[in-house]
Amino acid sequence: MKAESKFQIFDAVPDSLEPIRDFIAAFATANNIERKKIFKLSLAVDEIATNIMNYGYPLAGIDDGTIQVSIGYQDKQLKVVLEDHAMPFNPIEKGMPTPEDLMKPVEDRPIGGLGIFLARQSVDLFDYEYREGKNRNIFVVAID
Amino acid sequence: MGFSVKKEIFEKYTALTIGGSLDSSTAPQFGEEVKQVVTQNPQALVLYVEELSFMSSAGLRMLIFAKQKLGTTASLILVRPQEQLLETLRMTGLIFSVNIVDQYPE
Repeated sequence: MKAESKFQIFDAVPDSLEPIRDFIAAFATANNIERKKIFKLSLAVDEIATNIMNYGYPLAGIDDGTIQVSIGYQDKQLKVVLEDHAMPFNPIEKGMPTPEDLMKPVEDRPIGGLGIFLARQSVDLFDYEYREGKNRNIFVVAID
Repeated sequence: MGFSVKKEIFEKYTALTIGGSLDSSTAPQFGEEVKQVVTQNPQALVLYVEELSFMSSAGLRMLIFAKQKLGTTASLILVRPQEQLLETLRMTGLIFSVNIVDQYPE
């Protein structure tokens, strides 16, 4: 059951979110990763995948986009890479809510902006690159 | 796993029991229920979330929306959230805007 790496291609539609999370959870569970880490990784991936589906492909005018999800476990690191060919978008360049924003009473908050924040906070390393016409969003979780 | 929501209207509060996964594919369904509830100006919106195993920012946005529409006098109550949901609420500071309880009514 223990695999070193695996990938699968999903249609870039919201109905793929649960299958993507399940794909990650199945791999991580087979590698005995603790539940809390699996949850946080799934949350991070879900947030970025949602952005690709809701903004990346629509803005590029592509209605049959896909997301390739790769997962691997090596040297005490669990690594997920999402690849898509939507509009180039670097989540790291997007502004994050400040600590002051997060302390604001909910009545004064803007309704957006939390997704990328959650994605970046939920993994040990988040990275992005644009290569050969593809966005590559990279998530790394350290395993003790 | 999908998503389920069940609504019950009581004299003093409205309750939604939600289960499964609240992500970008299921948040609109939850959002519709929340919109209906807040137009009736309940004194409290009670969310039974014990069976809710996943919530992304799409779900959090619905909580923010609900709290904004309920105003400062009505409360948003979460009953028995799972640890992962609590952690997400802590990370985003939303934990200060909701009431977390083990049972409701007490």
